[in-house]
Amino acid sequence: MALDAVFRDQWGRVLAILAGILGDLELAEDAAAEAFAIAAERWPRDGEPANPTGWLVATARHRAIDQLRRQQVLAAKTKLLARDLEFTSRGPEALMDDAATIPDERLELIFACCHPALAPESQVALTLRTLGGLSTEEIALAFLVPFETMSKRLTRAKHKIRDAGIPFAVPPDHQLPDRLAAVLAVVYLTFNQGWGGSRVDLAAEAIHLGRALAGLMPDEPEVLALLALMLLNDARKAARERDGLIIPLDDQDRARWDTRQIDEGRALLQRAVARARSGPYLIQAAIADLHLHEPRDWRQIAALYQALARQTGSPVVEMNRAIAVAEIDGPEAGLAILDRLDLDHYRYFHSTRAGLLRRAGRDAEAHDAYRRALALVQTEQEQRFLAGRLAETAPAAQDEPGMPGAFPA
Amino acid sequence: MQYALLVYSPAEDTDRAARPVPDSLVAQLGRPHVTGWTRLHADESATTLRGDGGRMLLTDGPFIDSKEYLAGLILIEAVNLDGALAIAADLFQEIRPGSAIEVRPVLGGHFRGA
Repeated sequence: MALDAVFRDQWGRVLAILAGILGDLELAEDAAAEAFAIAAERWPRDGEPANPTGWLVATARHRAIDQLRRQQVLAAKTKLLARDLEFTSRGPEALMDDAATIPDERLELIFACCHPALAPESQVALTLRTLGGLSTEEIALAFLVPFETMSKRLTRAKHKIRDAGIPFAVPPDHQLPDRLAAVLAVVYLTFNQGWGGSRVDLAAEAIHLGRALAGLMPDEPEVLALLALMLLNDARKAARERDGLIIPLDDQDRARWDTRQIDEGRALLQRAVARARSGPYLIQAAIADLHLHEPRDWRQIAALYQALARQTGSPVVEMNRAIAVAEIDGPEAGLAILDRLDLDHYRYFHSTRAGLLRRAGRDAEAHDAYRRALALVQTEQEQRFLAGRLAETAPAAQDEPGMPGAFPA
Repeated sequence: MQYALLVYSPAEDTDRAARPVPDSLVAQLGRPHVTGWTRLHADESATTLRGDGGRMLLTDGPFIDSKEYLAGLILIEAVNLDGALAIAADLFQEIRPGSAIEVRPVLGGHFRGA
Protein backbone atom coordinates (compact mmCIF):
# COMPACT_ATOMS: atom_id res chain seq x y z
CA MET A 1 0.00 0.00 0.00
CA ALA A 2 1.41 3.39 -0.98
CA LEU A 3 2.78 5.27 2.02
CA ASP A 4 0.50 8.29 1.56
CA ALA A 5 -2.57 6.09 1.55
CA VAL A 6 -1.41 4.26 4.69
CA PHE A 7 -0.85 7.54 6.47
CA ARG A 8 -4.22 8.91 5.48
CA ASP A 9 -5.81 5.72 6.65
CA GLN A 10 -3.95 5.65 9.96
CA TRP A 11 -4.01 9.28 11.03
CA GLY A 12 -7.51 9.31 12.52
CA ARG A 13 -7.07 5.92 14.19
CA VAL A 14 -3.73 6.78 15.79
CA LEU A 15 -4.87 10.23 16.87
CA ALA A 16 -8.03 8.82 18.41
CA ILE A 17 -6.14 6.36 20.58
CA LEU A 18 -3.61 8.96 21.69
CA ALA A 19 -6.28 11.57 22.43
CA GLY A 20 -8.13 9.05 24.56
CA ILE A 21 -4.99 8.25 26.56
CA LEU A 22 -3.73 11.81 26.95
CA GLY A 23 -7.04 13.72 27.12
CA ASP A 24 -5.24 16.43 25.18
CA LEU A 25 -5.71 16.73 21.44
CA GLU A 26 -2.87 19.17 20.92
CA LEU A 27 -0.36 16.94 22.70
CA ALA A 28 -1.75 13.94 20.81
CA GLU A 29 -1.42 15.73 17.47
CA ASP A 30 2.17 16.79 18.13
CA ALA A 31 3.12 13.29 19.21
CA ALA A 32 1.34 11.70 16.26
CA ALA A 33 2.97 14.13 13.81
CA GLU A 34 6.38 13.22 15.19
CA ALA A 35 5.63 9.51 14.90
CA PHE A 36 4.44 9.89 11.31
CA ALA A 37 7.55 11.90 10.46
CA ILE A 38 9.75 9.13 11.83
CA ALA A 39 7.73 6.57 9.88
CA ALA A 40 8.10 8.58 6.67
CA GLU A 41 11.83 8.42 7.16
CA ARG A 42 12.16 4.79 8.29
CA TRP A 43 9.46 2.78 6.51
CA PRO A 44 10.68 3.38 2.95
CA ARG A 45 14.08 2.18 4.15
CA ASP A 46 13.13 -0.64 6.56
CA GLY A 47 9.77 -1.65 5.10
CA GLU A 48 6.30 -1.12 6.54
CA PRO A 49 5.74 -2.86 9.91
CA ALA A 50 3.25 -5.72 10.13
CA ASN A 51 1.12 -3.64 12.46
CA PRO A 52 1.41 0.00 11.38
CA THR A 53 -1.15 1.30 13.90
CA GLY A 54 0.64 -0.36 16.79
CA TRP A 55 3.99 0.96 15.65
CA LEU A 56 2.69 4.51 15.27
CA VAL A 57 0.83 4.54 18.60
CA ALA A 58 3.81 3.11 20.51
CA THR A 59 6.20 5.60 18.91
CA ALA A 60 3.87 8.55 19.50
CA ARG A 61 3.29 7.51 23.12
CA HIS A 62 7.02 7.63 23.80
CA ARG A 63 7.27 11.10 22.25
CA ALA A 64 4.31 12.30 24.33
CA ILE A 65 5.84 11.01 27.57
CA ASP A 66 9.13 12.68 26.69
CA GLN A 67 7.28 15.91 26.00
CA LEU A 68 5.44 15.76 29.32
CA ARG A 69 8.70 15.10 31.16
CA ARG A 70 10.29 18.09 29.49
CA GLN A 71 7.33 20.22 30.49
CA GLN A 72 7.64 18.86 34.04
CA VAL A 73 3.94 18.36 34.30
CA LEU A 74 4.36 14.66 34.83
CA ALA A 75 2.90 14.78 38.34
CA ALA A 76 -0.33 16.28 37.12
CA LYS A 77 -0.63 13.65 34.46
CA THR A 78 -0.01 10.62 36.64
CA LYS A 79 -3.68 9.77 36.47
CA LEU A 80 -3.49 9.71 32.70
CA LEU A 81 -0.26 7.75 32.70
CA ALA A 82 -1.76 5.20 35.06
CA ARG A 83 -4.44 4.51 32.50
CA ASP A 84 -1.81 4.51 29.80
CA LEU A 85 0.27 1.92 31.68
CA GLU A 86 -2.83 -0.23 32.10
CA PHE A 87 -3.42 0.07 28.39
CA THR A 88 0.05 -1.18 27.54
CA SER A 89 0.51 -3.60 30.45
CA ARG A 90 1.45 -6.27 28.00
CA GLY A 91 4.53 -4.28 27.03
CA PRO A 92 5.28 -2.08 24.02
CA GLU A 93 6.43 -5.02 21.85
CA ALA A 94 3.06 -6.70 22.34
CA LEU A 95 1.35 -3.50 21.30
CA MET A 96 3.23 -3.47 18.05
CA ASP A 97 2.54 -7.15 17.33
CA ASP A 98 -1.15 -7.55 17.93
CA ALA A 99 -3.42 -5.40 15.80
CA ALA A 100 -6.55 -7.04 17.21
CA THR A 101 -6.07 -5.63 20.72
CA ILE A 102 -5.86 -2.04 19.56
CA PRO A 103 -9.33 -0.61 19.93
CA ASP A 104 -10.66 1.70 17.27
CA GLU A 105 -11.35 4.87 19.21
CA ARG A 106 -12.35 7.03 16.27
CA LEU A 107 -15.97 7.11 17.44
CA GLU A 108 -14.89 8.48 20.79
CA LEU A 109 -12.81 11.09 18.98
CA ILE A 110 -15.60 12.19 16.67
CA PHE A 111 -18.07 12.56 19.54
CA ALA A 112 -15.53 14.71 21.40
CA CYS A 113 -14.98 16.89 18.32
CA CYS A 114 -18.74 17.31 17.84
CA HIS A 115 -19.57 18.01 21.49
CA PRO A 116 -22.31 20.66 21.92
CA ALA A 117 -19.97 22.68 24.18
CA LEU A 118 -18.02 23.54 21.01
CA ALA A 119 -19.31 26.07 18.50
CA PRO A 120 -20.59 24.44 15.27
CA GLU A 121 -17.83 25.92 13.13
CA SER A 122 -15.28 24.57 15.61
CA GLN A 123 -16.91 21.13 15.47
CA VAL A 124 -16.57 21.07 11.69
CA ALA A 125 -12.98 22.33 11.65
CA LEU A 126 -11.87 19.95 14.40
CA THR A 127 -13.51 16.91 12.80
CA LEU A 128 -11.86 17.61 9.46
CA ARG A 129 -8.49 18.23 11.12
CA THR A 130 -8.46 15.19 13.37
CA LEU A 131 -10.46 12.52 11.57
CA GLY A 132 -10.12 13.87 8.06
CA GLY A 133 -6.45 14.61 8.45
CA LEU A 134 -6.78 17.84 6.48
CA SER A 135 -4.21 20.53 7.19
CA THR A 136 -5.21 23.82 8.81
CA GLU A 137 -4.47 25.55 5.51
CA GLU A 138 -6.70 23.18 3.54
CA ILE A 139 -9.60 23.70 5.93
CA ALA A 140 -9.15 27.49 5.87
CA LEU A 141 -9.21 27.44 2.06
CA ALA A 142 -12.25 25.20 1.88
CA PHE A 143 -14.28 27.46 4.16
CA LEU A 144 -12.98 30.73 2.74
CA VAL A 145 -11.55 31.83 6.07
CA PRO A 146 -8.09 33.35 6.70
CA PHE A 147 -5.45 30.87 7.87
CA GLU A 148 -4.88 32.75 11.16
CA THR A 149 -8.57 32.62 11.99
CA MET A 150 -8.83 28.88 11.33
CA SER A 151 -5.61 28.22 13.25
CA LYS A 152 -6.92 30.10 16.30
CA ARG A 153 -10.30 28.39 16.03
CA LEU A 154 -8.67 24.95 16.09
CA THR A 155 -6.32 25.82 18.95
CA ARG A 156 -9.14 27.24 21.07
CA ALA A 157 -11.25 24.16 20.47
CA LYS A 158 -8.44 21.77 21.40
CA HIS A 159 -7.68 23.76 24.55
CA LYS A 160 -11.33 23.81 25.49
CA ILE A 161 -11.55 20.03 25.20
CA ARG A 162 -8.53 19.72 27.48
CA ASP A 163 -9.36 22.43 30.04
CA ALA A 164 -13.12 21.94 30.33
CA GLY A 165 -12.87 18.16 30.40
CA ILE A 166 -14.85 17.31 27.29
CA PRO A 167 -14.82 13.51 27.41
CA PHE A 168 -13.53 11.20 24.67
CA ALA A 169 -16.44 8.81 24.90
CA VAL A 170 -19.44 7.53 23.03
CA PRO A 171 -22.43 9.20 24.73
CA PRO A 172 -24.82 7.12 26.85
CA ASP A 173 -27.91 5.77 25.10
CA HIS A 174 -30.28 8.49 26.30
CA GLN A 175 -28.05 11.18 24.80
CA LEU A 176 -26.98 9.31 21.69
CA PRO A 177 -29.74 10.42 19.28
CA ASP A 178 -29.04 14.14 19.79
CA ARG A 179 -25.28 13.75 19.88
CA LEU A 180 -25.27 11.56 16.77
CA ALA A 181 -27.45 14.10 14.98
CA ALA A 182 -24.72 16.71 15.64
CA VAL A 183 -22.03 14.42 14.19
CA LEU A 184 -24.09 13.71 11.09
CA ALA A 185 -24.81 17.43 10.69
CA VAL A 186 -21.06 18.14 10.65
CA VAL A 187 -20.49 15.49 7.97
CA TYR A 188 -23.41 16.67 5.84
CA LEU A 189 -22.38 20.32 6.12
CA THR A 190 -18.92 19.33 4.94
CA PHE A 191 -20.43 17.47 1.98
CA ASN A 192 -22.63 20.41 0.96
CA GLN A 193 -19.80 22.89 1.27
CA GLY A 194 -18.10 20.74 -1.34
CA TRP A 195 -20.60 21.79 -3.97
CA GLY A 196 -19.26 25.35 -3.73
CA GLY A 197 -16.15 24.47 -5.68
CA SER A 198 -12.78 24.87 -3.98
CA ARG A 199 -9.38 23.31 -4.32
CA VAL A 200 -10.06 20.83 -1.52
CA ASP A 201 -12.53 18.09 -2.37
CA LEU A 202 -14.74 18.39 0.69
CA ALA A 203 -17.40 16.16 -0.79
CA ALA A 204 -14.86 13.34 -0.98
CA GLU A 205 -13.75 14.10 2.59
CA ALA A 206 -17.32 13.94 3.80
CA ILE A 207 -17.90 10.60 2.08
CA HIS A 208 -14.67 9.32 3.61
CA LEU A 209 -15.93 10.36 7.08
CA GLY A 210 -19.33 8.87 6.32
CA ARG A 211 -17.72 5.55 5.44
CA ALA A 212 -15.74 5.53 8.68
CA LEU A 213 -18.94 6.22 10.63
CA ALA A 214 -20.84 3.50 8.77
CA GLY A 215 -18.07 1.06 9.60
CA LEU A 216 -18.11 2.05 13.26
CA MET A 217 -21.90 2.22 13.66
CA PRO A 218 -23.26 -0.28 11.11
CA ASP A 219 -26.61 -0.68 12.90
CA GLU A 220 -27.54 3.01 12.95
CA PRO A 221 -29.99 3.69 10.10
CA GLU A 222 -29.33 7.44 9.97
CA VAL A 223 -25.59 6.85 9.62
CA LEU A 224 -26.15 4.46 6.70
CA ALA A 225 -28.75 6.78 5.19
CA LEU A 226 -26.43 9.80 5.28
CA LEU A 227 -23.74 7.89 3.42
CA ALA A 228 -26.37 6.70 0.93
CA LEU A 229 -27.56 10.28 0.44
CA MET A 230 -24.04 11.57 -0.17
CA LEU A 231 -23.21 8.76 -2.62
CA LEU A 232 -26.44 9.17 -4.58
CA ASN A 233 -25.76 12.89 -4.95
CA ASP A 234 -22.08 12.54 -5.68
CA ALA A 235 -22.81 9.93 -8.37
CA ARG A 236 -24.19 12.68 -10.61
CA LYS A 237 -21.12 14.88 -10.22
CA ALA A 238 -19.62 14.26 -13.68
CA ALA A 239 -22.90 15.04 -15.41
CA ARG A 240 -23.70 18.09 -13.35
CA GLU A 241 -21.34 20.43 -15.12
CA ARG A 242 -20.35 20.95 -18.75
CA ASP A 243 -18.13 23.76 -20.08
CA GLY A 244 -18.38 25.55 -16.76
CA LEU A 245 -22.19 25.52 -16.85
CA ILE A 246 -24.52 23.80 -14.40
CA ILE A 247 -26.75 21.18 -16.01
CA PRO A 248 -30.09 20.60 -14.22
CA LEU A 249 -30.96 17.00 -13.42
CA ASP A 250 -33.50 16.67 -16.25
CA ASP A 251 -30.89 17.61 -18.84
CA GLN A 252 -28.02 15.51 -17.50
CA ASP A 253 -26.30 12.81 -19.54
CA ARG A 254 -27.12 9.72 -17.45
CA ALA A 255 -24.28 7.79 -19.02
CA ARG A 256 -21.98 10.01 -16.98
CA TRP A 257 -23.55 9.01 -13.68
CA ASP A 258 -21.33 6.81 -11.51
CA THR A 259 -23.22 3.49 -11.37
CA ARG A 260 -20.98 2.05 -8.66
CA GLN A 261 -21.83 4.90 -6.32
CA ILE A 262 -25.51 4.61 -7.17
CA ASP A 263 -25.49 0.86 -6.51
CA GLU A 264 -23.62 1.32 -3.26
CA GLY A 265 -25.96 4.13 -2.22
CA ARG A 266 -29.02 2.05 -2.96
CA ALA A 267 -27.67 -0.94 -1.05
CA LEU A 268 -27.05 1.27 1.99
CA LEU A 269 -30.53 2.73 1.65
CA GLN A 270 -32.00 -0.79 1.73
CA ARG A 271 -30.03 -1.63 4.85
CA ALA A 272 -31.18 1.58 6.50
CA VAL A 273 -34.84 1.01 5.57
CA ALA A 274 -34.62 -2.52 6.96
CA ARG A 275 -33.91 -1.01 10.40
CA ALA A 276 -37.52 0.23 10.39
CA ARG A 277 -36.76 3.55 12.07
CA SER A 278 -37.39 6.72 10.12
CA GLY A 279 -35.25 9.81 10.25
CA PRO A 280 -34.46 12.90 8.18
CA TYR A 281 -31.45 11.42 6.35
CA LEU A 282 -33.37 8.27 5.52
CA ILE A 283 -36.13 10.30 3.89
CA GLN A 284 -33.67 12.51 2.02
CA ALA A 285 -31.80 9.45 0.73
CA ALA A 286 -35.08 7.91 -0.44
CA ILE A 287 -35.91 11.16 -2.24
CA ALA A 288 -32.45 11.25 -3.84
CA ASP A 289 -33.03 7.71 -5.07
CA LEU A 290 -36.45 8.60 -6.51
CA HIS A 291 -34.91 11.51 -8.43
CA LEU A 292 -32.72 9.02 -10.30
CA HIS A 293 -35.67 7.17 -11.80
CA GLU A 294 -37.15 8.12 -15.13
CA PRO A 295 -39.97 9.11 -15.26
CA ARG A 296 -39.98 10.57 -11.76
CA ASP A 297 -42.65 9.55 -9.28
CA TRP A 298 -43.52 13.09 -8.20
CA ARG A 299 -46.37 12.01 -5.93
CA GLN A 300 -44.02 9.79 -3.93
CA ILE A 301 -41.44 12.56 -3.84
CA ALA A 302 -44.02 15.11 -2.66
CA ALA A 303 -45.27 12.71 0.02
CA LEU A 304 -41.73 12.13 1.30
CA TYR A 305 -41.03 15.87 1.42
CA GLN A 306 -44.20 16.26 3.46
CA ALA A 307 -42.99 13.62 5.93
CA LEU A 308 -39.61 15.34 6.08
CA ALA A 309 -41.23 18.75 6.63
CA ARG A 310 -43.16 17.30 9.56
CA GLN A 311 -39.98 15.86 11.08
CA THR A 312 -37.77 18.90 10.61
CA GLY A 313 -40.09 21.91 10.31
CA SER A 314 -37.63 23.24 7.73
CA PRO A 315 -38.81 25.89 5.24
CA VAL A 316 -36.21 24.67 2.73
CA VAL A 317 -37.90 21.27 2.77
CA GLU A 318 -41.23 22.99 2.11
CA MET A 319 -39.57 24.78 -0.80
CA ASN A 320 -38.53 21.47 -2.31
CA ARG A 321 -42.01 20.09 -1.71
CA ALA A 322 -43.36 23.03 -3.67
CA ILE A 323 -41.26 21.96 -6.66
CA ALA A 324 -42.73 18.45 -6.50
CA VAL A 325 -46.27 19.77 -6.08
CA ALA A 326 -45.76 22.00 -9.13
CA GLU A 327 -44.97 18.88 -11.17
CA ILE A 328 -48.27 17.33 -10.12
CA ASP A 329 -50.66 20.30 -9.87
CA GLY A 330 -48.96 22.96 -11.97
CA PRO A 331 -46.72 25.96 -11.19
CA GLU A 332 -49.39 28.07 -9.46
CA ALA A 333 -49.90 25.34 -6.86
CA GLY A 334 -46.17 25.33 -6.19
CA LEU A 335 -46.04 29.12 -6.00
CA ALA A 336 -48.85 29.11 -3.44
CA ILE A 337 -46.63 27.06 -1.12
CA LEU A 338 -43.58 29.25 -1.76
CA ASP A 339 -45.51 32.42 -0.97
CA ARG A 340 -46.01 31.20 2.61
CA LEU A 341 -42.26 30.79 3.20
CA ASP A 342 -39.77 33.26 4.67
CA LEU A 343 -36.57 32.47 2.77
CA ASP A 344 -35.65 35.86 1.37
CA HIS A 345 -31.95 35.36 2.19
CA TYR A 346 -31.75 32.01 0.34
CA ARG A 347 -30.63 32.20 -3.26
CA TYR A 348 -32.25 28.90 -4.23
CA PHE A 349 -35.62 30.21 -3.02
CA HIS A 350 -35.51 33.00 -5.56
CA SER A 351 -34.28 30.80 -8.39
CA THR A 352 -36.96 28.22 -7.59
CA ARG A 353 -39.65 30.88 -7.53
CA ALA A 354 -38.29 32.28 -10.77
CA GLY A 355 -38.51 28.89 -12.47
CA LEU A 356 -42.12 28.39 -11.43
CA LEU A 357 -43.11 31.95 -12.32
CA ARG A 358 -41.71 31.38 -15.77
CA ARG A 359 -43.66 28.15 -16.24
CA ALA A 360 -46.76 30.05 -15.13
CA GLY A 361 -46.12 32.58 -17.88
CA ARG A 362 -45.31 35.38 -15.43
CA ASP A 363 -42.06 36.36 -17.10
CA ALA A 364 -41.63 39.86 -15.68
CA GLU A 365 -41.88 38.52 -12.13
CA ALA A 366 -39.57 35.64 -13.08
CA HIS A 367 -37.03 38.17 -14.32
CA ASP A 368 -37.13 39.99 -10.95
CA ALA A 369 -36.76 36.76 -9.04
CA TYR A 370 -33.75 35.71 -11.11
CA ARG A 371 -32.20 39.09 -10.41
CA ARG A 372 -32.64 38.60 -6.66
CA ALA A 373 -31.10 35.13 -6.91
CA LEU A 374 -28.16 36.53 -8.87
CA ALA A 375 -27.52 39.09 -6.11
CA LEU A 376 -27.06 36.25 -3.60
CA VAL A 377 -25.05 33.90 -5.79
CA GLN A 378 -21.85 32.27 -4.43
CA THR A 379 -20.04 30.49 -7.25
CA GLU A 380 -19.08 31.30 -10.81
CA GLN A 381 -21.09 28.42 -12.25
CA GLU A 382 -24.23 29.51 -10.44
CA GLN A 383 -23.60 33.06 -11.61
CA ARG A 384 -23.39 32.00 -15.24
CA PHE A 385 -26.48 29.78 -14.93
CA LEU A 386 -28.59 32.56 -13.42
CA ALA A 387 -27.25 35.20 -15.76
CA GLY A 388 -28.40 32.97 -18.59
CA ARG A 389 -31.88 32.63 -17.11
CA LEU A 390 -32.00 36.37 -16.51
CA ALA A 391 -31.23 37.03 -20.15
CA GLU A 392 -33.91 34.57 -21.25
CA THR A 393 -36.58 36.30 -19.20
CA ALA A 394 -35.56 39.83 -20.15
CA PRO A 395 -38.46 41.82 -21.63
CA ALA A 396 -36.91 41.71 -25.13
CA ALA A 397 -36.40 37.94 -25.01
CA GLN A 398 -40.09 36.95 -24.64
CA ASP A 399 -40.08 34.87 -27.81
CA GLU A 400 -37.16 32.62 -26.79
CA PRO A 401 -38.19 28.99 -26.11
CA GLY A 402 -38.70 28.46 -22.38
CA MET A 403 -36.41 26.18 -20.44
CA PRO A 404 -38.19 24.30 -17.68
CA GLY A 405 -36.83 22.99 -14.42
CA ALA A 406 -35.81 24.69 -11.27
CA PHE A 407 -32.33 24.89 -9.82
CA PRO A 408 -30.41 23.27 -8.06
CA ALA A 409 -29.37 20.24 -10.08
CA MET B 1 -12.48 17.70 38.14
CA GLN B 2 -13.77 20.84 39.81
CA TYR B 3 -16.16 23.23 38.13
CA ALA B 4 -17.54 26.61 39.09
CA LEU B 5 -21.19 27.22 38.27
CA LEU B 6 -21.87 30.95 37.94
CA VAL B 7 -25.56 31.66 38.22
CA TYR B 8 -26.79 34.80 36.47
CA SER B 9 -30.30 36.00 37.24
CA PRO B 10 -32.54 38.78 35.98
CA ALA B 11 -33.27 41.69 38.29
CA GLU B 12 -36.07 41.06 40.78
CA ASP B 13 -38.63 43.48 42.11
CA THR B 14 -38.94 41.91 45.55
CA ASP B 15 -36.37 42.15 48.32
CA ARG B 16 -33.90 39.35 47.68
CA ALA B 17 -32.80 39.06 51.30
CA ALA B 18 -36.40 38.58 52.41
CA ARG B 19 -36.85 35.62 50.05
CA PRO B 20 -35.37 32.36 51.31
CA VAL B 21 -33.75 29.84 48.99
CA PRO B 22 -36.47 27.45 47.78
CA ASP B 23 -36.39 24.01 49.47
CA SER B 24 -35.83 22.19 46.20
CA LEU B 25 -32.72 24.27 45.55
CA VAL B 26 -31.51 23.77 49.13
CA ALA B 27 -31.81 20.03 48.62
CA GLN B 28 -29.68 20.23 45.46
CA LEU B 29 -27.04 22.32 47.19
CA GLY B 30 -26.79 19.67 49.88
CA ARG B 31 -25.85 16.89 47.49
CA PRO B 32 -22.34 15.39 47.87
CA HIS B 33 -20.96 16.70 44.57
CA VAL B 34 -21.47 20.30 45.73
CA THR B 35 -18.27 21.26 47.54
CA GLY B 36 -19.23 24.87 48.27
CA TRP B 37 -21.66 27.59 47.37
CA THR B 38 -22.37 31.21 47.98
CA ARG B 39 -25.49 33.28 47.39
CA LEU B 40 -24.88 36.95 46.68
CA HIS B 41 -26.90 40.07 47.36
CA ALA B 42 -28.29 41.80 44.29
CA ASP B 43 -25.87 43.94 42.32
CA GLU B 44 -27.19 47.26 43.68
CA SER B 45 -25.33 46.38 46.86
CA ALA B 46 -22.01 46.04 45.04
CA THR B 47 -19.00 48.35 45.17
CA THR B 48 -16.30 48.10 42.53
CA LEU B 49 -12.58 48.88 42.76
CA ARG B 50 -10.69 49.60 39.60
CA GLY B 51 -7.58 51.42 38.45
CA ASP B 52 -7.78 54.88 36.94
CA GLY B 53 -4.49 56.39 35.80
CA GLY B 54 -2.47 54.97 38.68
CA ARG B 55 -5.13 55.73 41.31
CA MET B 56 -7.61 53.28 42.78
CA LEU B 57 -11.20 54.28 42.09
CA LEU B 58 -14.35 53.21 43.91
CA THR B 59 -17.66 53.09 42.07
CA ASP B 60 -21.15 52.31 43.28
CA GLY B 61 -22.52 49.20 41.60
CA PRO B 62 -21.23 46.06 39.84
CA PHE B 63 -18.26 45.81 37.48
CA ILE B 64 -20.45 44.90 34.53
CA ASP B 65 -23.82 46.60 34.45
CA SER B 66 -26.20 44.27 32.71
CA LYS B 67 -29.75 43.00 32.78
CA GLU B 68 -28.67 39.77 34.51
CA TYR B 69 -26.41 39.90 37.53
CA LEU B 70 -24.14 37.33 39.18
CA ALA B 71 -26.51 35.90 41.79
CA GLY B 72 -24.40 33.06 43.10
CA LEU B 73 -21.46 30.72 42.74
CA ILE B 74 -21.59 26.94 43.21
CA LEU B 75 -18.49 24.73 43.29
CA ILE B 76 -18.96 21.12 42.21
CA GLU B 77 -16.96 17.97 41.69
CA ALA B 78 -17.60 16.01 38.46
CA VAL B 79 -15.81 13.39 36.37
CA ASN B 80 -15.89 15.47 33.20
CA LEU B 81 -17.83 18.24 31.48
CA ASP B 82 -20.81 15.98 30.77
CA GLY B 83 -21.08 15.26 34.50
CA ALA B 84 -20.84 18.96 35.32
CA LEU B 85 -23.47 19.84 32.71
CA ALA B 86 -25.84 17.22 34.13
CA ILE B 87 -25.51 18.76 37.61
CA ALA B 88 -25.97 22.24 36.15
CA ALA B 89 -29.06 21.06 34.27
CA ASP B 90 -30.63 19.81 37.54
CA LEU B 91 -29.91 23.15 39.23
CA PHE B 92 -31.25 25.01 36.21
CA GLN B 93 -34.70 23.55 36.92
CA GLU B 94 -34.74 25.15 40.35
CA ILE B 95 -33.60 28.69 39.60
CA ARG B 96 -35.69 31.64 38.46
CA PRO B 97 -36.88 31.90 34.85
CA GLY B 98 -34.57 34.03 32.70
CA SER B 99 -31.52 32.84 34.63
CA ALA B 100 -28.44 31.28 33.09
CA ILE B 101 -25.67 29.08 34.45
CA GLU B 102 -22.12 29.42 33.20
CA VAL B 103 -20.03 26.27 33.72
CA ARG B 104 -16.31 27.00 33.99
CA PRO B 105 -13.53 24.55 34.93
CA VAL B 106 -11.58 25.42 38.08
CA LEU B 107 -7.85 25.99 37.70
CA GLY B 108 -7.16 25.97 41.44
CA GLY B 109 -8.30 27.46 44.75
CA HIS B 110 -9.66 26.91 48.23
CA PHE B 111 -13.05 27.38 49.82
CA ARG B 112 -13.43 27.78 53.57
CA GLY B 113 -17.11 27.31 54.37
CA ALA B 114 -19.32 29.73 56.31
